Amino acid sequence: MAGARAGPKLPGRLRMLELDGIHTYYGDSHVLRGVSLSVGAGEVVCLLGRNGAGKTTTILTAMGYVKPRTGRIAYRARNITALRPFEIARLGVGYVPQERGIFPSLTVVENLTVFARGTRRGRWTLPRIFALFPVLEARVGHLGFQLSGGEQQMLSIARALMLNPTLLLLDEPSEGLAPMILQQIVTAIKSLRNEGLAILLVEQNLRTALALGDRHHVLNKGEICYTGSSAELGGNDTVLRDYLSV
Amino acid sequence: MEFFLEQILNGLVYGVLLFLTAAGLSLIFGLMNVVSLAHGSFFMMGGYVAYSLYRLTGSFWAALLLAPVPIVAAGVAMEVIFLRPLYRRGHLDQVLLTFGFTFIFLDAVQTIWGRDVLALPPPAVFDGVVALGTGVFSSYRLFLIGFGLAIALLLWLFLDRSQLGARVRAGVDDAAMAGGLGCNISALFTAIFGAGVALAALGGVAAGPIFGIYPGEDAEILIPAFIVIVVGGMGSLRGAFVGSLLIGEADTFGNAYMPQLALFLIYLVMAIVLLVRPQGLFGIKHGLAASPSGSTPAAPLPSRRALAIGLIGVAALVIYPLLVADYQRSLVTELLIFAIVAMSLDLLLGFTGLMSLGHAAFFGLGAYVVIVLGTFFDFNAWFGVALGIGAAALAALVIGYFCVRASGIPFLMLTLAFSQLVYSVALKWRDVTGGSDGIGLAVKPSLFGFTLSNSLTMYFVALFFFVLCFLGLRRLVSSPLGRVFIGIRENEARMLAIGYATRRYKLASFTIGGAVAGLAGGLYAVFNGFISPDAVYWSASGDILIMVMLGGAGTLLGPVFGAAAFLLMKNLVSTYSEHWLAIIGVVFVACVLFFPGGFWGTLRQVRIMTREKVPA
Amino acid sequence: MSVLRTESLYCAFGSLVVTKDVTLTVIKGERHVIIGPNGAGKTSLLNQIGGQLHAGRGRILLGGTDITQWPPNRIAQSGIARTFQRNNLFPNLTVLENLCLAVEARRGRPWDFFSLADHRHAVIRRAEALLAQVHIAGDASRPVHNLSYGEQRQLEIGLALAGEPTLLLLDEPTSGMSPAETKSMIALIASLPRTLSILMIEHDMNVVFTVADRITVFYYGEVLASGPPAEIRNDRRVREIYLGMED
Repeated sequence: MAGARAGPKLPGRLRMLELDGIHTYYGDSHVLRGVSLSVGAGEVVCLLGRNGAGKTTTILTAMGYVKPRTGRIAYRARNITALRPFEIARLGVGYVPQERGIFPSLTVVENLTVFARGTRRGRWTLPRIFALFPVLEARVGHLGFQLSGGEQQMLSIARALMLNPTLLLLDEPSEGLAPMILQQIVTAIKSLRNEGLAILLVEQNLRTALALGDRHHVLNKGEICYTGSSAELGGNDTVLRDYLSV
Repeated sequence: MEFFLEQILNGLVYGVLLFLTAAGLSLIFGLMNVVSLAHGSFFMMGGYVAYSLYRLTGSFWAALLLAPVPIVAAGVAMEVIFLRPLYRRGHLDQVLLTFGFTFIFLDAVQTIWGRDVLALPPPAVFDGVVALGTGVFSSYRLFLIGFGLAIALLLWLFLDRSQLGARVRAGVDDAAMAGGLGCNISALFTAIFGAGVALAALGGVAAGPIFGIYPGEDAEILIPAFIVIVVGGMGSLRGAFVGSLLIGEADTFGNAYMPQLALFLIYLVMAIVLLVRPQGLFGIKHGLAASPSGSTPAAPLPSRRALAIGLIGVAALVIYPLLVADYQRSLVTELLIFAIVAMSLDLLLGFTGLMSLGHAAFFGLGAYVVIVLGTFFDFNAWFGVALGIGAAALAALVIGYFCVRASGIPFLMLTLAFSQLVYSVALKWRDVTGGSDGIGLAVKPSLFGFTLSNSLTMYFVALFFFVLCFLGLRRLVSSPLGRVFIGIRENEARMLAIGYATRRYKLASFTIGGAVAGLAGGLYAVFNGFISPDAVYWSASGDILIMVMLGGAGTLLGPVFGAAAFLLMKNLVSTYSEHWLAIIGVVFVACVLFFPGGFWGTLRQVRIMTREKVPA
Repeated sequence: MSVLRTESLYCAFGSLVVTKDVTLTVIKGERHVIIGPNGAGKTSLLNQIGGQLHAGRGRILLGGTDITQWPPNRIAQSGIARTFQRNNLFPNLTVLENLCLAVEARRGRPWDFFSLADHRHAVIRRAEALLAQVHIAGDASRPVHNLSYGEQRQLEIGLALAGEPTLLLLDEPTSGMSPAETKSMIALIASLPRTLSILMIEHDMNVVFTVADRITVFYYGEVLASGPPAEIRNDRRVREIYLGMED
């Protein structure tokens, strides 16, 4: 059980992200209560749970936006607990927030290129991005605020990829999307996984999570109350009913 | 026709100077939500440094190019060392900090270059005139227009076309997100702050040959630049550009064709824009801003012990004047009067969440009414005080009508702009106000046969009104209406949703605050027998704001102590040092940095903390 | 008898359409629940009805009165009260002070500047009654930021009820609540009198099917289906695009 919770033991450089005993507070309210998890190279780890369970806070803490009161965060075995978001991003962490965070007054291309990193040596270039999300190519000259929700989501993922990251933090990419668009995004995330990108995925949509995740952590009131594979979680009616289902 | 053309060109000259100042202000606000009152100081210092460089090198161009360098260094140092730690706090702390710096910069300028107007000659190439139809126009002015437009173009190209420009726009859109994508936002902001300072300094140099270089230039450019930003829209470069030209032309044409009304014309433009498009011409419509001051709990009702302490305090204030000499008596009289003003601002700031930086206007109005009516019509001073209260309330009602359409920083800018209008009237309506010399009351009034030139009588009159105002305001903030004010401070959007027409209540608070300030002004007129435009200058409004913040906003009693501490310090320091401006500036900066909740607020916080440590 | 009717409401931010031709009726006494995926435009609809959002075209009728362009305060005064998806209270004021503000807005004398707010016994009694109605026990002089999340959700409803509405708009009243808190929220909603009509957004299907007389399914700013719960439960399209996705 302890092994499953912490994830398989891997050499340092393959342990893309490790959270160890994270306690995060907003003012007096204790939001994360000892969250530990790890994401290995090429692995998709899902965080599930109800609204307010602490999923987004976990992502914000990993990204350095919120500082944990205690606990340690490591990226490829390097301690990043005290780093600021921009430093963490520069190490190779791509962040896709829940609200997508598209810059509304920048065009699609500007959104993609404004903070792009390592484009010369890296794998991600505009043509590859447009191959992954053809919709974006048709929209290159549009301003961010003119995009639909699905297009914004694709742009947000694409923009994170333009940093040529080795780890992606995805916060509810399925939120509010039509099934067809969602399908495109799920397909895209699958192909990213197949390329070996490590992904920490926050998801409320169980079907999406089961389709994408290698391992799943269920959060409840700031604690991880269940950890398992897709097959285990999909068959565990108690967990589904108590912590997830509507 | 030539005259008309000349006015258009003059308007452009003023417009581009405004743009150089407003562009930086607007970008800085857009990127970091910070408003820097010191921006006018950088403009002013640009002119001074250029003057010295010109004396040194004999070249205008060397002065123009090099003058921004030390100014940018000073600006960046201010941002990195002092402003950066404050980003997590509210707007008001940043405003006060930069306000403190305006004192320091002004003192530095006066110490180094003196108080006279200095002249910076235009470069030899442009020292002539150009024929325009049958008239002529200074070639330097034409150069300046071209220079300003060129800078605007460069700035636009930079923002719109360059990678760094795109980063700035991304940062303006969503700074936190840009951080998550690897952008070092604080470095970017420092760069933009520096660029904004450089533009202002360039403007200051360029203005030198036309307007001269003098202390006070800082506010003269800062306030119209605020109006430009309110008109053009916060955080929009296009807005700053269009707004600058609009205000520049409006002011110039006003001066040329209706000199009597020129003063009001740019305010009229601003008022119309605000009524039609509250977010400004190019502004993005923002939701209701978060409550600015926020977290002070409602004033606790008086306990028996507090009542006892209050009575002891009043008793001490009653006995005190009997034991001391005239000078100390007058000093405390003045303290009491300013305590009233500070409390009245606290009603706006601490209890309604309205950040006003124009409160001295109402104080000054009350004072001017008493003295002007007394001088010209021989009005009884007490009748004058009553009329002064009425005039201040009416002015607050009218000014407030426009201001409450905005909130947060735009509100602050508007109150500041309107108070400068009052200042300009006091300065320019010489026949009535005596202009910059001020105006004095020939005969001190009496009260029930006691003459108020007697410091003891005056003292007790001030004490009476102080206690009256304190009790009245405390009653007000504990009344249902006061609770509505506090509700607006806490969460204006929800107040609207539960059925309060919040604008009306904000206007009520603003008007009551103005009326009480008018009362204090009237008392001050009776006490001092003299008033000059200095009393309504924007720095006077800043003084009142400092008193409130020093003591702790939202506590009513805090501002009383704040007023006392401030005036005592000012008295003490100005007695011993001619650099009192700088010293007061330093004290402001220190207070903002180290006592964020004011004395009283800090004290209360400590009390709450120590109480919580004791196990129940 | 319709209490509220929206006619062809349309609202867009840029090219992002949030409500598209929304026509919807709330009948007197009805519990009308709106469901739909996140981002389907549900909250925008509530914001339009509540006057927080004035954009786009269409009409909103309360009784027979066109309230489309009214400001929020006027809408509140005319009998529509609302809660918010995220707690939107007066965090530094006490529980009682929060409620008193809302009571005073509707029935009191908010312009009274002389009597002491703490001595307004009629207002306070009404606030205390509301406190009991929304099941908030304990010290009413606690500052609101000290309340639990669930209690704050309940206070949200208390503030709305204080306006003595004829129509109550609830935006996800159970969001973020534990199962126990959700249960007591269902009980609270069930206890409200039938003279009051309710239009609410809800995600929790348990709550939806317990409370609803009528369900409207929102999808991309449009009304996909509207009808009694049994009908919606068996609607093939709804199952496919919405319920199917969830389980």
